[in-house]
Amino acid sequence: MRRSFPWYLHPTVHLVLNCVLMTVSELLLKKGATEAASIAAPSWLAWTGIMTLGSGWVLVGIAVYILAFVNWLYVLRWVPLSIAYPVTSAVYVLIALGAWLLLGERIIGLRWVGIVLITAGVVFCARPAAAAEEKL
Amino acid sequence: MSVLNLGLLLFSQIALVAGQVFLKKGMNELDATPRRRGRVVGGVALGLLLLTVWFLVWMGLLQKLDISYVFPFQGVGHLLLVFAALFFLRERIGWQTWLGVVLVSTGTALVAMTP
Repeated sequence: MRRSFPWYLHPTVHLVLNCVLMTVSELLLKKGATEAASIAAPSWLAWTGIMTLGSGWVLVGIAVYILAFVNWLYVLRWVPLSIAYPVTSAVYVLIALGAWLLLGERIIGLRWVGIVLITAGVVFCARPAAAAEEKL
Repeated sequence: MSVLNLGLLLFSQIALVAGQVFLKKGMNELDATPRRRGRVVGGVALGLLLLTVWFLVWMGLLQKLDISYVFPFQGVGHLLLVFAALFFLRERIGWQTWLGVVLVSTGTALVAMTP
């Protein structure tokens, strides 16, 4: 019953797009959160992290996150959750690689093992969807 | 790690999984006959609410705790989500998905715990 999609509406394209958007958003949010940690908050509020809203990085990160969210709804329209959600864990790999390439962070052996495991896991989780498409 | 932080970490993962399940339930209603728009909007709204809760708690935890403590719990979330998809969404879960999620959870923990 699956109709054919133009490439820009294809669920797989949007699933990959989601990984990219979430990576960008996470990097922005992390940068903003570490900056905002120095802002004092009343102790009863501090556990919510609500003071992070004062950081510009966090606001842009939220904007990208909202964009990712809308895109995610489109993905969920067509892709089962048990496939879509595990595939987005590629974000962990992208963030680690991004930090390595862009920020010059060093990746130690065990972390590479973790990255390989996540990548393998993403491949396995994506395969049921790929198989379903080939049957069409 | 204090009991409070542990509790918040687990709570955050439950909120995350529940939020995703409701989003999916909402979007699934677009294919249902008869299509009930109220269920679509309701599912998405509830999912969004739960994800907002997760977000606030998660940001708070990231401020207080090292990312190497917090992120391995995402692995717990991945496992929870597949169970939730199985029981609440009645999705069919093949061995590849189970294997994939175990690999992802283990890999996430390793990536998070190494400096």
